[in-house]
Amino acid sequence: MLGVGGGFVLVPLQALWAGVPQRFANANSLVAIIPIAVAALPIYYFRKGSPQVDLHAALFLIIGSVVGAYVGARVLRRIPDRELKIGVALILGVVGLKELLIP
Amino acid sequence: MTWGDALLIAGGLGAGFLSGTIGIGGGLLFVPTMTVGFRISQAVAQGTSLVAIVPTAIVGGITHIREGNVLLGPAMWMGGGGVGGAVLGALVAVEVPGPILARIWGAFLVISAYRLGLQAIRAVPSKAA
Repeated sequence: MLGVGGGFVLVPLQALWAGVPQRFANANSLVAIIPIAVAALPIYYFRKGSPQVDLHAALFLIIGSVVGAYVGARVLRRIPDRELKIGVALILGVVGLKELLIP
Repeated sequence: MTWGDALLIAGGLGAGFLSGTIGIGGGLLFVPTMTVGFRISQAVAQGTSLVAIVPTAIVGGITHIREGNVLLGPAMWMGGGGVGGAVLGALVAVEVPGPILARIWGAFLVISAYRLGLQAIRAVPSKAA
């Protein structure tokens, strides 16, 4: 419950320990996030007491992200596994260093 | 529609694209778009991010299934396990101080990034699937 969907755990777990090709690891992760996010939403609400959501911001973020997710999912097939893995490693590394240095 | 709304849509587009390709929820970009771009508080940004992740993951996930990128069995197991993990995480997160949690989390990510990087370097340059 760090405010992330869980993809950051699922993607490296599959690729490193289960030997799943990166493309499948990434796509599987996104499918698995659906029930996780749906389950986390009410937990987050009840724990916080009052709902803390900016609905206006959510609406416009969703308009953009739904289009982005569709395009991203369509192009995934065309990205070679090796390059994809490097991209994932870079993003995980940057976010990881940020959390270590400025927690 | 204001410039602010346009910025939100742009942030959403970027987050959604990363979400579709890398397989993350999109919170990575949703939260900073709101906290840095709009000075929305961290708590509200996280709650809003969680709301935005749901439709993003549904559209991205369905597109992935149609594209044949998904191994449905493992995805279902992870989803089920993840639901349990989310409940557990919510309980643990209350007990453990935030900075310690963030450092453990950061260490996990850095180690994963390092090992994935090694994997990529060792692999023979692959052709597009």
